[in-house]
Amino acid sequence: MSITANINDEKNALVITVPGRFDFSKHNEFRKAYKDKQIESGVYEIDLHSTEYLDSSALGMMLLLKEVADSNSSVVKITHANDELREILRIASFEKLFVIE
Amino acid sequence: MNEPLTLLVVDDDITNRMVLRALLKADGYQVFEAENGQQAVDTVSKKQIDIILMDVMMPVLDGYQAAQIIKSEIEYFIPIIFLTAITDEALLAKCLASGGDDVLTKPYSHVLLRAKIDSMNRIRILNRKIEQQNNELNKHNTRIQQEINVAKKVFANILNHDMRGSKSGLRYSMSPMSVFNGDVIFSDVNQSNGLDVLISDFTGHGLSAAISSIPMADIFYAMTRKGFSFKETLTEANNKLVKMLPTQMFMSAAFISVDRLNNVLSVVNAGLPDLYLIRDGEIIKTFKSKNLPLGIISVTADTFEMDMASLHYGDRLLAATDGIMEAENADGEFYGVARIIDSINSAENADSLFNKVLNDCMAFTHNAQQSDDITLIELHHKKDIDYENKNDVAVVNTPSNWSMQFSLDVDSLRKFDILPYIMQGVNGLQSIPNGRSTVQTILAEIFSNSLDHGVLSLDSSLKNDAGGYLQFYQQKTERLNSVEEGNIQITLSHEQRGDGGVLTIHVVDSGDGFDYTAMNESLESNTGLHGRGLPLIKTLCQDVCYMGKGNVVVATYAWGSEAISADS
Repeated sequence: MSITANINDEKNALVITVPGRFDFSKHNEFRKAYKDKQIESGVYEIDLHSTEYLDSSALGMMLLLKEVADSNSSVVKITHANDELREILRIASFEKLFVIE
Repeated sequence: MNEPLTLLVVDDDITNRMVLRALLKADGYQVFEAENGQQAVDTVSKKQIDIILMDVMMPVLDGYQAAQIIKSEIEYFIPIIFLTAITDEALLAKCLASGGDDVLTKPYSHVLLRAKIDSMNRIRILNRKIEQQNNELNKHNTRIQQEINVAKKVFANILNHDMRGSKSGLRYSMSPMSVFNGDVIFSDVNQSNGLDVLISDFTGHGLSAAISSIPMADIFYAMTRKGFSFKETLTEANNKLVKMLPTQMFMSAAFISVDRLNNVLSVVNAGLPDLYLIRDGEIIKTFKSKNLPLGIISVTADTFEMDMASLHYGDRLLAATDGIMEAENADGEFYGVARIIDSINSAENADSLFNKVLNDCMAFTHNAQQSDDITLIELHHKKDIDYENKNDVAVVNTPSNWSMQFSLDVDSLRKFDILPYIMQGVNGLQSIPNGRSTVQTILAEIFSNSLDHGVLSLDSSLKNDAGGYLQFYQQKTERLNSVEEGNIQITLSHEQRGDGGVLTIHVVDSGDGFDYTAMNESLESNTGLHGRGLPLIKTLCQDVCYMGKGNVVVATYAWGSEAISADS
C-alpha cells in the first residue's frame, strides 16, 4: 500500500494518507505526495486512519510539511490518529505545532 | 583499441581444432588450443581466456569434468560453449548442468557459432562489470566498517566519559550502536553535590544524528559547570540545535537534576517517553513529556515546563529513550509501555530493578532482528555517594588582592541569573585549588537566602515537608514575577595570606531581615527539610556573620595554608 494524496477543492485541502508503517522508508514517497500539489491559504491534512505506526523520522517529515505549509499560509492538520499514535504525538508535544483532530 | 578476444579451443581431434582456429582467426580472435580437459584447466589457470569452446568426449579429462573444475576454481566468469556431436537430450543437458553456458551440436553453422560467441561475450562483459563493482563495494564496505568501529570508540569517549563512577548512583545501559545513532547520556555533579543528567535521542540514525550530539556535550558540560540553571542550559542547547539541524531533525531529551541539599528531584521532559520514580517497588510518580523536543523552534527559558518531586533515600528514577518502547519481537510487536511497567512491578527488589527491566526487554526481542537502539538509565538516590574524576581544575596559584561588586535591582533579579557570571569572574581572577565548587555553593546559598527571604519575603517554614517545598518553589516564581522593588548587593573581596587566601563574601539585601540569633543551631539537630542552607554555609566557611536586622551577611572562606591555620 502506498501513500495517497488527494486534493479536496471544496475544503481547499490536500489530504495525505499514509497506510501501514509511517517511518523513514516512506521519506521520498511522503515528500512527493505534497511536492507538486501546493495549497494556498488552506489545509494540509495528514490522515492517519490507516497508519499503524509512527516513528520519530515520521515526526520529522511532518515538520518538513509544516515548513511548506507555513510558507503557503496554510496549516497542517493531523487527523484520525488512533490512541497509540496520539500518545506518540503527545510525547513529542506536537499539539503545540499542529492541529490534531 | 580493444584487445582481441581470447578463445580457447578444446578438442582431442586435431582436424576439428585446425578448422575452428582458421575460422576464428579469420574473425579476428586470438586462439589457444588444448587437446583435452586437463590441458584446458592448465591453460585457463595460466592465461587470460575469455571464452572456451569445449568438446565433450576427450581422453584424460572429459569436457564435463573440465567445465566443473574451471567453473569452481576460476573466480571470474568464463563462458563455456560446448561443441558436440552428441544428440541425446539428457547428455546435452548434462553439458549445461556441469557448468556449460551454451551448447552447439556438430555439425554447426558458422554463422550461429559467431552469434553465440558474440552473445556470450556480451554476458561476459556484463559479468565482469558486476564483479568489478562488487569488489569495489566490498572494499568500500570494509573500509566504512573499519571507520565506523573507530568512530564508535571516539564517540563513546567524547560523549559518555563522565558517568562519575560506580558509587554515583547512576547506572546506565547503552547498546553499542545506540551511541552512533545519536543516543546520549551526559552527567555532571551540580552545586548541591547531586547529579545533573541529560539523556537524549536524536531523530534519525547514523552519522548526522551522532555528529549533532557533539555540540550538546560542550553546552551541557560548560554550562552545568559554570552553574547555569538547567532551564538555561536547555534553552541554549535548543537554540543551538534550531540553528544547526535541518527541519526534520530534532532531539528528544530529559534533563534530570537531583538537589541533594533539599532532596528534590527536578525533571524537564522534552519528548522522551515517561520517566518513572520508584519507591519501595512502586511507581510513585510519572514524569510525562510536556515540552516540544529540542531543536524545533526557538524558545526562552520560561518556555520549559518542569516537574518536581521530593526524594527519599533509596528512590530510583528510570529513564529511557524510545528504543525500548519500539523494541520489536519476531512477530513485529512492540515492547511498549505496559511491559515496562510490568517489569518494574515484578522486580524482586530495588537492586534488581534495572537489570530486570533490561533483561525482560532483551528476552522479548530475543529472536527478532537485533534491536540495537536501547538506552536506559537508573538514578539511585543514595545516602552516601562518591564521584570519580571530580572536575576541580588544577591551575597554578597566583594569589592576589582584589574585590568586585555587583548591584542588582529587582528587574535584573527577575530576568537574569547572575551567579554563573560572578563565578566566572572569580575563577578568572583567582585559582582556588579544590575550592571552586565550595565557593560556588556558599555563594549560591547566601544569594538564594537573600533573594527568597529578603527580597521576596518567602517563609522558609513552608519547606518543612516535601509538598511545601514544591509550594515554596511555586510561590517563589509568582513573587519574582510580581515584586516591584528590591535589590541585592554582592561584594567579593580576596586577600592573599601565605600561599593561600581569604575570600570575603558580603551580601546586602533590601528585605526586612530576620532573627538571626536562632541560627546557631547545629547541622546535627537540623533534620527538617528547610534551614539546611545556613548550617551548610557555616561548615564550609571559616566564619559566617549576620548583621543589621538580618539583611546583611558576611561570610569568609579561607583556602591554602590559611585554611589550615584557621582550623587549628
